[in-house]
Amino acid sequence: MSSSIAGRDVALVDLVDRLLAGGVVIAGDITLSVADIDLVHVSLRALVSSVPSLEARGAMPRMGDSL
Amino acid sequence: MTDKILHLPPDLDLFASERPRLDNALTRRIGADPENLERGLAQLVLTVVELLRQLMERQALRRIDAGGLTPEQEERLGQTFLELSRRMDELKSEFGLDDEDLNLNLGPLGNLL
Amino acid sequence: MIELYAIARHPGPPLPDLAQLRAVPSNGLAALCGPAADEGETTEEALWRHEEIVEALMLDRDLLPVRYGTRLADEQAAADAVAERRGELLAALEHVRGAVELSLRVRARSPGRAPELHALRSLARDQVERPGRDEHELLRAAYLVDRDAVERFSEEVARLQDANPELALLLTGPWPPYSFSQR
Repeated sequence: MSSSIAGRDVALVDLVDRLLAGGVVIAGDITLSVADIDLVHVSLRALVSSVPSLEARGAMPRMGDSL
Repeated sequence: MTDKILHLPPDLDLFASERPRLDNALTRRIGADPENLERGLAQLVLTVVELLRQLMERQALRRIDAGGLTPEQEERLGQTFLELSRRMDELKSEFGLDDEDLNLNLGPLGNLL
Repeated sequence: MIELYAIARHPGPPLPDLAQLRAVPSNGLAALCGPAADEGETTEEALWRHEEIVEALMLDRDLLPVRYGTRLADEQAAADAVAERRGELLAALEHVRGAVELSLRVRARSPGRAPELHALRSLARDQVERPGRDEHELLRAAYLVDRDAVERFSEEVARLQDANPELALLLTGPWPPYSFSQR
């Protein structure tokens, strides 16, 4: 009848579905750099702008690390 | 850890097949059917990489034109993009993909690259 | 770096003594967070540990669980993120007040249709129902259910199972309201 799958194993799929694909998504920002020079600042709200223009406007604080 | 099961089906075997898919989800490995899946995945990944590379190259050129970078920085940028371009060629060759393969058609929006 | 676990109303009850939890206040809301551990693999154990913390928090307050692996530079960043979305977060908290999430999945040996779900919907405040991901999964659903309606809901699922012996119904929970935290 029932197999030896632990209740926890079966519940794991439901857990993964929730933790990795559910919940509130807090947007972060990332900065793309090449050769240690920051080039592109990308917000997960799909705003793409160049770093100099952001700095000129009084830059948003950088939350991510360089890639 | 409290048990999360509120109702178990009499026939739990039907849920036994989920284990491999779950392992993939957690460790992000590629599953069965390597050849097609791998090439298709490589195509997708390299397209994104190519997009980013072009984006950053364009941005680098704008920075160079605008001035404000030291000759050293300009040199470093130039070298790096040369390297990136070479590396992309290597990767494309490794997966048997050419420039046309690395272009996503977005329907009414035209091509990505 | 800090790890963000959940968002709740502020002020609220004292925090459980776990994972160096702190409540970062932001105008009637709080980001519930702790120091971020070294970045490890996403293992089963890590997921369950994270879940334990969120559920401990949920014992005595309504909350919106945050997606796993959400890390921010510092508490100020967390406060800013919460402030930015104050309206929608307050609305979502109201929506899940006093409720938990239950997960229902239905599988079958041969392709077919999911069972009639009216009875379950009538016991729930809200639901998300989706088709399965493979040919044997007939339904993936999440139900937002009052805490004290969980038992009745489980009984209804058992009845549904009896009425559909060729199907396999799996009900898990109670979970924090992951599927009802974002509109």
